[in-house]
Amino acid sequence: MRKSYVNNNIKVNEFDALIKITVEMSKYLYPYIREILKSKEDIKENSIIWNDFNKRFIELIKERFNVDSIRVKKLLNQTENGEIIIKSLLTLSFCISNQGYQKLKNFLYDF
Amino acid sequence: MQNKLSFHQSSVSLEIIGLPDYSNNENKDQISIISQWKLTIVDKPLIEGKIEHLVPIMDAFYIYSNLLIKNEIPIYESKLIDIKADNLHIHNIVLKSSKANVKPLVLKIGNSLLSDTINCFDQLNESPKVRIKKRDIPNKIPKKLKFVLNNKVKFFNFFIPPFFAICSLILFSSSFIYFYSPFENIEKKELINPE
Repeated sequence: MRKSYVNNNIKVNEFDALIKITVEMSKYLYPYIREILKSKEDIKENSIIWNDFNKRFIELIKERFNVDSIRVKKLLNQTENGEIIIKSLLTLSFCISNQGYQKLKNFLYDF
Repeated sequence: MQNKLSFHQSSVSLEIIGLPDYSNNENKDQISIISQWKLTIVDKPLIEGKIEHLVPIMDAFYIYSNLLIKNEIPIYESKLIDIKADNLHIHNIVLKSSKANVKPLVLKIGNSLLSDTINCFDQLNESPKVRIKKRDIPNKIPKKLKFVLNNKVKFFNFFIPPFFAICSLILFSSSFIYFYSPFENIEKKELINPE
C-alpha cells in the first residue's frame, strides 16, 4: 500500500517497537483522539473537527501511499473511509493503559 | 474506616470503596474486600452496585469493545447487562436490576464515553491497591495463532524466491521455442526419402 518499490519483511523486534511507539503516541494524543470520536457522534455540532481530521488524513494518504491501489482508494473515499477511521481510532483509544502494548498486539494479531 | 479509591478518565470516573484484608497482612490503604462501587458518566445516571456486579459489567464492556473492533456483530447480552450498537457511533446499554419491580436502566453512550469507561476499568485492573477476582483475559497470544503466524512468514520466505526462480526459468526457456529452426527437419526428411 505504501509508495515504495522495496518490499522488505518487517522483523519481529521492529514490529514490537512500532507497537510501543504507537501506544505511547496514543497515550499522548488521547484527548485529541477522543475529541475526533466525539465530533463524529454529533456531526451537526462538531463537524469542523471531523472534517479537518478527514482532510488531513486524506492529504497524508495521498502523500505517502500508492494511490493506484484499490485498498488505498477505499481509504480516500470519504463515504467509505468513516468506518475504517473510527475503528482505528477506537482501537488506539482502548490501548492507552500500561498494558496497552499487549492489548494492541492482540488486536493486530486478531485482524 | 473504609478506603476509597477513584479512577478518572475524561468524562468518566469509577469509585471503589472497601477494606483491606488484614488476615492477609495487607496495607491499610489496600482494598481487597469491596463493599461498594460507583461508575459516574457525565450527563448520565449514576451506576452503582454490589461487588458481584462489577466484574460481569467490566467483562461485558471488554467483550463488547473487542467485538466492535474485530468487525463482528457488536451485541452482548447477559442477565445483568445488554450492550448493543445503535450505529457506529452510539451504543445502547441496558442495565437490569437484580431487584424485582425495578425497571432496567437504559443508557446511550458514544464512542468517546465508551473508551473513557474502558480506560477507567483498565486503571482499576492495573491498580496495585485494589485486588479483585479478575477473569482470565487472554493477554498473551494463543500458541496456535503464534505457530500459524510464524509458519506463514517462514513458508512465504522459503517458497517465494525459488517459485519466482522457476517461473522465470520457464518464461525464459519458453522464448527459445520461437528460435526453433525448421531446416533441420527438412534435412532429416531428405535423408529418409533420398529421391
